[in-house]
Parts: sequence; structure tokens; C-alpha cells
Amino acid sequence: MEFVSDISQTLVLAATEGGEEEGGSFLVSPGLGLMIWTLLVFGFTMWVLSKVAFPRIQEALDKRAKLIADSIESAERAKRESEELTAEYRARLSEARKQADDIVSRARKAADTAKTQAAEEGREKREELLAAARRDIEAETRRSLERIRKEVADLTVLTTEKVARKSLDDADHKKLVDDALAEVDFASLSPEER
Amino acid sequence: MSTKWKVLLGFAFFMAVVFAVGLIFGSDGKKDSFQPQNEFKLEPWIPIQIGPLDMSINKAVLYLLLASALTVGTMVWISRRMHSKPNRTQTAVELAYDLTRNNITGNNLDRKMSLKWFPFLATLFFWIWFSNMIGYLPLPTNTAHPVDILGVEVPAFALYAATANISIPLVLTLVVWFSYHFEGVRAKGLFPYLKGWLPSGIEDMNFAFKAFVFVIECISQLVRVISLSVRLFANILAGHLLLLFMGGGLAVLLGLAALGVLTFPMAFVFYVFEVGLVATLQAFIFATLSAIYIGDAVAESH
Repeated sequence: MEFVSDISQTLVLAATEGGEEEGGSFLVSPGLGLMIWTLLVFGFTMWVLSKVAFPRIQEALDKRAKLIADSIESAERAKRESEELTAEYRARLSEARKQADDIVSRARKAADTAKTQAAEEGREKREELLAAARRDIEAETRRSLERIRKEVADLTVLTTEKVARKSLDDADHKKLVDDALAEVDFASLSPEER
Repeated sequence: MSTKWKVLLGFAFFMAVVFAVGLIFGSDGKKDSFQPQNEFKLEPWIPIQIGPLDMSINKAVLYLLLASALTVGTMVWISRRMHSKPNRTQTAVELAYDLTRNNITGNNLDRKMSLKWFPFLATLFFWIWFSNMIGYLPLPTNTAHPVDILGVEVPAFALYAATANISIPLVLTLVVWFSYHFEGVRAKGLFPYLKGWLPSGIEDMNFAFKAFVFVIECISQLVRVISLSVRLFANILAGHLLLLFMGGGLAVLLGLAALGVLTFPMAFVFYVFEVGLVATLQAFIFATLSAIYIGDAVAESH
């Protein structure tokens, strides 16, 4: 513990030796010469820094700040533009989709119409054909009936002549035919009965 | 083995070395011939005497010039090669510049005053910072105890700092002191400025009380000269004395070699503390207080 008291003694000594030649008073006594040197050197430093260094640094910092601001702005602009474009594309896309849907539905409708029309036409044609066929058949039937009728009449006349050995006059003739015809049933040949 | 045991073992080994050195070398007794404060004594290297004025070039002047050269060199060099994509050095300088511009100046002064006083306050910060920092570099400046190398006398390496000399912080403080009074008087006029020293809330008091407060304010204004300068000076001086004593000065002074072994690690701790914190902190405080004083002097209400 001896050196601890030695330390404190020394420190006290150093503090109290102020007035003496080898003491520490010079530590706290300012020198005018050094103060003037300080002013000169500090002044020079400040002059150079404020003329050369600070403005350049400030300029560079301002430039960078502007660059950053510009970059942000242009990025925002680009973003806005891209958003607009996207919206436009989206609108166009939906429009196109609508148009496509339109076209498809129209085509479907047209196809439906065409189909019904075709069916209608087909039906009409068939009916026409059927009607024509029916007419032909009717005409044919009629003609056949006429022919049969004539044949029957001729046959009747002939038969009767053969039987009666006399020719029939017109009145007999007519009576005979009508009787024969009344006996023959043409019902099954009549188109109306079908 | 856990970390705790490693630390304990290391400490025990260290103490053993201390005791061993103590036993081997013992005590040489106090050495009064070693005067630690003389490390800070200035020897006129180039004596210049102008009338009664001693303008001799000495160690302190060298440190002033070194600090100035480093400040100007660094700042001009960086300012010439400012890139839009900064490297580490530029980033560090930009950070410091931003600190002086926005924190020290911008926070304490209005816009117009900021523009006006920024160069001064920023130079204060940078210059004091460089002064403090070169104070922790050993430079061959100790001409009082030269080292003989092959017959050539070379000054011994020593630590010194311009800011550890009262003259330098004092003259800077005086510049600040006169500046802020000047600005205050210019902004408000002499009597309104002096009246502004009185704190608010005593308008209704009688004249004698006001006079009493005014005297106290006068004293506090005068004390600012001492507080601002001594804060910087004493911090740096104390730091250097600590490094000196811990680095071996105490052991030499008391003639105890073992004490040197004991205190030497402390020198590293204090060195890191001084370089890492005190040097920057004191520069920042000096510049900030200067800004506050100037801002205060021109501010509308106290």
C-alpha cells in the first residue's frame, strides 16, 4: 500500500508545484504567440474549407439528392404509366373478350337460324314433294278409274250385246252402264276414302 | 473449460507476473527527476520574437499545422472526387459533413444564420477532431529527450495534442464568445440584447432583484469562456496524462517496475476510450455549444 500513498503524494506535489520553475503552471497559462498562431492556422483552414471543400461537397450532395429525387419521380412516373397501360390492356382485353363472346353468340344464333331455316325448308320441300306425289297419284287414280270405267262400260256393252244379240240404243246403253256401275264398288279406289 | 475460468486463469497469471516482477526488481524509490508534466512543455524550436510577442515555432505550432494540413487535405481531396456512388471514406466524410450541417448547425440556428455560420462551425468540428486524433499518434517530437541512433540525435516519439494546450481552445472560445455577442447585438441592438439575458418570468420583480440576476447572468457569460475552453483542454490533457501514467509513467515516477506491468493493460483501454469516444465527442461538444451560443444570442425569446 506504500505506493498508493506515493501516488497521491506525487499528484498533490504536481498540483502544488504550480509556482515553481519545474512545476505545471505552464499547462494553464495561455501564450499569446500560440494564440495568434492558432488564429492564423484556423483562419486559413476555414478559408480553404469554405472556399473549396464545403461548396463542392454540398454541390455533390445536392446533385445526388436531386438525382435521387429525379429517380424516384421517374420511377413513379414509369409505374404510373405502366399502371395506365395495364389498365388500358385490361380494358381492351375485356372488350375483346366481350367482342369474342358477341361473335360466338351471334354465330351460334346464325347457326341456329340457319338450322331452323334449313329444317323449315326441308319440311316445306318434303311437303311440296308429298303434295306433288299425292296429286300425281290422284290424277293417275282418276285416270285409271276413268279407264276402268270406260273398260267396264265397253265390256258391259259388249257382254250385253252378246247376250241380247242386239245392239243397244243410246237409252239402253246409258241405263245398262249406270246399272253396271252402281253394282261395281269403287269405294276402295276412291282417294277420298284413304 | 468455461469462459469464466479462462478469464480467471488469465487474470491469475497476470497477477503472478506482476508479483514476480515486483519481487525481482523491487522498488528503486521515487524519482523526482522525472516530471510528467514536462511532456507538455513547449520548447521553442525556431525562436521568433516580435517585440514582446513570442511567436516561436514549437511543438504546438507543428501540431496546429499538421491538424490544418490534414483537415484541408482530407476535405479538399474528398471534395474533388465526390462520386455519386460513394466509397467508405467518402461516406464517412459525408456523414461527418451531414453532422456538422444538419445536427450541429441546422438544429441550433435558423436558416439564414446556418448558411452564415456553417463554415465556421464545421471547420471548428473538423479541425478540433483532427487535432485530437493526431494527438494519439506517436510522433518524433520530443526534442528534450533525443534518442541517439548511430550518432544522429533523433527526437523521441511522443504523444502530444494541440488541444491539450490551453492557448488553443481558449482562443477558439474567445472567437466564439465575441462572435455570438456581436451577432446578438446586431440582431437585437445592444440594450435589448443585454435585456434578453434576463430569464423570462422575472418581469414583475423589482429593479434590485433584476440587477442581481443580471450580474449573475454576466458572470455566467464570462464563465462560458472558461467552461467551453477548459472542457476541451482538460479532457484532452487528462486523457494524455492517463495514457502517460498508465503506459509506464507512474512506474518510472515511483520506481516500481511491477506497477508498470499492472497499469500497462489499462493504457490500451484508455487509448481505445480516448480515440474511440473522447476525441470525437469533445470536438462535437465544442462545435455544438458554439452553435447553441450563437443561436441563443439571436433567438427572439430566451
